[in-house]
Amino acid sequence: MAPDWQPDFEKLVDQHQSMVFSLALRMTADRGLAEEIAQDVFMELDRSLAKIESPAHACFWLRKAAMHRSADALRRRKVRGIDLWVEMEDVHGIQSEDRATPISARLEQLLATLPEPQRAALVLRYQEDLTPEEIASTLQAPLATVKSHLQRGLKLLRSKAHSQLKDYVRGE
Amino acid sequence: MDEFERELNEAFARRPAPPSLKRRLIERRAAEARRQSKSEHAWLVSKQLAWQQLAAALLLAALVTGGVEWRIALERRREEAARQQVLTALRITSHALDRMNARLTARRHQPQD
Repeated sequence: MAPDWQPDFEKLVDQHQSMVFSLALRMTADRGLAEEIAQDVFMELDRSLAKIESPAHACFWLRKAAMHRSADALRRRKVRGIDLWVEMEDVHGIQSEDRATPISARLEQLLATLPEPQRAALVLRYQEDLTPEEIASTLQAPLATVKSHLQRGLKLLRSKAHSQLKDYVRGE
Repeated sequence: MDEFERELNEAFARRPAPPSLKRRLIERRAAEARRQSKSEHAWLVSKQLAWQQLAAALLLAALVTGGVEWRIALERRREEAARQQVLTALRITSHALDRMNARLTARRHQPQD
């Protein structure tokens, strides 16, 4: 930790907005909601700025807050009875200008169909390149649970990709 | 990491945040700061008002207590004056009775003609 490091809110926004937004987007599959979550996360960061000790701590804090806020948003949406998959297809659709390749778009769609804990573990693993230990610490979950979510999620995603995307996925 | 996982790594690369995100954040932060300063001002005003009310209440309590004390002291002074008047009257009466008694005694001891 840099001893005289001072958190600069705007700099932190510049550095991490894409990470926070992407995490929220992949967890909720809703651009509007993801932007709202990203704003809330950064506003919370602003209020907690005095507690942030280092750039790494800021990154960890933002990841954790983004995942928790996304989970809360999903829970609220579930209470309201909105189906994530239907909403993603019907309301927000596939925004082609946003997608790098058709296969990426389809994989993201398939990701949105996984149960939330598996989706969270996979997003942190493959978007953020975190180890299972780091994922466990971010999600405040036991390591064994995270490993199980990773394995099951990957297996489920692989089987869905195999049945739906076999023309696209390399090596399948 | 197999081919499928590499595919996931590519597919799940970070997306750029909407360009408006930072601007909205800065606006929201400024609005929150304004709201906070307004509520702090309101808190200060209410605190000042509370002190003023407390001071007024203390002053009123002091005035009431002083008034009551003054009234009690006045009553005591009046009572004391009344007591002194009664004692003086009793002294005068006693003196008059003594004189009367002395005259009667003197008359009793005078030889009867």
